[in-house]
Amino acid sequence: MDAHAASTADAWHARAVVFAAACVMVGVYWDISWHMTIGRDSFWTPAHLLIQAGGLIAGVSSGYVALRTTFAGTPQQKAASVGFWGFRAPLGAWVCVWGCGAMVTSAPFDNWWHNAYGLDVQIISPPHMVLALGIVAITVGSLLLTLARQNQTRGREQQQFGMLFTIAAAFWIMNVWIMLSEYSYKEFMHSGLFYRVAATYYPLVLLTTARANTLRWPATKAAAIYMAITLALMWTLKVFPAEPKLGPIYQHITHMVTMDFPVLLLVPAVALDLVRQRLDGRVRDLWLAPLLAVVFVASFFAVEWPFASFLITSLSRNWVFNGANYVYFMTNQYVAHTFEFANWDPWTRALAPQLALAVVLATVSSYIGLKWGAWMTKVRR
Amino acid sequence: MIARFVGASPLALILVALGPTVSGAHVGSPDVIFDGKAGPYDVRVIVRVPMVVPGLADVVVRVLHGDAQRVFIRPVFWRSGVTGSPSPDAAKPVAGASSLYAGQLWLMARGAYSVYVTVEGASGSGIVSVPVMSVATGRLGMSSELGVLLVALGALLVVGLITIVYAGAGESVVEPGRTLDRPRRRRARTIALVAVPVVCLAVLGGARWWQSVDTQYLARMYRPLATRSSVTRLAGHPILRFEVIDSTGEALRLDPLMPDHGKLMHLFVIDSARMTSFAHLHPLFDDSATFSTTLPPLPPGRYRLFGDVTFETGQTRTLTGIVSLTRDDSVRAADFIPPERDDAWTSAVGTMRHDHLATIDTLEDGSTMEWLADSSSIHPRAEATLHFRVRDPHGAVATLEPYLGMNAHAVIARDDGSVFIHLHPAGTISVAAQEAFALRDRGDTTAKGRLRLGADTEGQHAMPMSGEFSLPYAFPRAGTYHVWVQVCRAGRVLTGAFDVVV
Repeated sequence: MDAHAASTADAWHARAVVFAAACVMVGVYWDISWHMTIGRDSFWTPAHLLIQAGGLIAGVSSGYVALRTTFAGTPQQKAASVGFWGFRAPLGAWVCVWGCGAMVTSAPFDNWWHNAYGLDVQIISPPHMVLALGIVAITVGSLLLTLARQNQTRGREQQQFGMLFTIAAAFWIMNVWIMLSEYSYKEFMHSGLFYRVAATYYPLVLLTTARANTLRWPATKAAAIYMAITLALMWTLKVFPAEPKLGPIYQHITHMVTMDFPVLLLVPAVALDLVRQRLDGRVRDLWLAPLLAVVFVASFFAVEWPFASFLITSLSRNWVFNGANYVYFMTNQYVAHTFEFANWDPWTRALAPQLALAVVLATVSSYIGLKWGAWMTKVRR
Repeated sequence: MIARFVGASPLALILVALGPTVSGAHVGSPDVIFDGKAGPYDVRVIVRVPMVVPGLADVVVRVLHGDAQRVFIRPVFWRSGVTGSPSPDAAKPVAGASSLYAGQLWLMARGAYSVYVTVEGASGSGIVSVPVMSVATGRLGMSSELGVLLVALGALLVVGLITIVYAGAGESVVEPGRTLDRPRRRRARTIALVAVPVVCLAVLGGARWWQSVDTQYLARMYRPLATRSSVTRLAGHPILRFEVIDSTGEALRLDPLMPDHGKLMHLFVIDSARMTSFAHLHPLFDDSATFSTTLPPLPPGRYRLFGDVTFETGQTRTLTGIVSLTRDDSVRAADFIPPERDDAWTSAVGTMRHDHLATIDTLEDGSTMEWLADSSSIHPRAEATLHFRVRDPHGAVATLEPYLGMNAHAVIARDDGSVFIHLHPAGTISVAAQEAFALRDRGDTTAKGRLRLGADTEGQHAMPMSGEFSLPYAFPRAGTYHVWVQVCRAGRVLTGAFDVVV
């Protein structure tokens, strides 16, 4: 088997892991919607099954690839792998196995957590973070597997894996967006915290994946796919009838409630792509990072600030903009608060220093993203 | 809504379990047991409340009389009422037991709940509400097995992650077919070594976060209100003042109370050494934080105070305290005029009940109270029905008068004071809390406003005032318990005292 045949033989694995990442992220979105609407769940809800199926597809397929490469691999397959405790497999496969392990670890931890401290109704808790790390690992594993194929192939096949890589990148963006959702309610969008948090995480993800991608307009495409997926989920899930199965119920819901309108990353992604097209490779990363940071914060602020001014009004309370996505346990007083901007920020400064700090954070984030992306372009196994 | 976490040391938490639990009402006896009617059906409802909020309550419904076909259960939170509760769940018939149904309900919020039980069958449909308090009373410890499993999995993940970093920095960027050269291998090692403290710091950060969540949880757990008690003399009579205070020692204004069996507080005074002296009193408000009453003739000693109150929000609480009575605080029985005709006290040694045999105590007026024999012993946490029969001095079954609206009241206390419960034939519930939910459902009140009480909250319950009655209860754990049973006969409140080992 020649090197090309070896790479196509593993193409199924790269595709399977991107599919797994899709299952997990759609499952997570569905699960959050389930908790916003129905509340009561079990290990066997469809959303949980989708997440578990994704974890299993990634873990089992990667485990199989590792065993096959180690014990029955061709010389080419072995050559395109890395060692791990005496076993051999592509790097992305090990990251997926690790992610599956983290997801498995989080299950008994989360179960104990609920029994010890009560069922949590928040996204950010220690056992959920272990699960989130597992999910991030599966997303990153799918990036690495598609990347290795993209970096080893040429022509149409490279385009195809570049596209798969872009889709995997979109799921990574979606993952970050979900993790930041408790900081991204429309009421927070005129406070510095929202911009600081966004500047800390989004440039890293956008630039890591953009620099490693061989397609044109990579960040733009990834951001567009992220927005398309989250909007499609937001618009379709809420069509389905459902009612809360937990009380107290303050909002009488008759259909699935979905997450907020996604943050408009498309615009900053276009801006980042434009700057990179002109300057990446011509100036040092140390200078490129602050420039990208300023561009990100400026463009993100330019679209989100006015968009938030619209979202906060009653004009957004419709099917398209999903402004009325009130969770069943929200009291009417809380609903009233969704019509005004809140400042929960522990750091109460004027907006200008807040945005300046956001630029500093975005600079660090961009620099890490550029360096990580540079490493990714070299990944061959 | 933003969760701010600083914080981490999970190892410190492993194998932590809290001691005896307290519950909103009563002490150390969180399970709720109710006997009564759901329309035409006689039912017994047991609600085992979770120690965490949100948590799952186990609900068991036994249809004692009537041809029931289906049973539904539903959690109703005080603030949101029936309209804000989820649709009822069907309780499942328990295999091998006739007329026994079981289910689980999520209690999501802290505060007063009522479990609505609907029974459907040949006689139609009936509904009854069983008030329960939803409070966090404990935190689950971690078993050593689970601790070892999680530490092992965590260690695997940490070592695996560092291995991935090493492979990522080294072999993964080498063209297939080529070998890892020495400089790149050294570089990969350096990067992996840098990753070690980074990963360790992340784990430490996670542990501190866990620690801070734990601290916040413990701070929000239920704890009894602080109280201060003292005895003063007024016109030769010892006056007990029982005051609710805040952390600075200042009087703490209580939310509006509602009378239970016609009394704002049922105060039980029990001597802590031998637990033979017992009084059931009904103090009145001096102000919104202080209750006071005249003490009956009790021997000197150290006494535990348990004051049951019901708030207009349907919440119930037992206020606890300690008071020491000196010889000066004792009043001669002949000089004592009870401030309330329903006040009662005794200093009799309890009659020990041996295993499940019948036990008889002679009452003050010469009548007898018999704790009837059971088919088996009483076991911890198992539902038990305590049957009693009062006979007049001639041996005939006595006719009882209502005592606080019921044919009997009872108090059960563990000899170390860690368990205290006030119950009656309807079980451990507060009848006032049940009424509060009924009033709330009729729309007589709002979530913020005062409860508009009905004309009569003293509870003229349609119960036969027979000399035979039973009390449902589940002893929470093993130990020696003192049981005082109070009835009213010929205008006198009589107290039977028993001891039992569970």
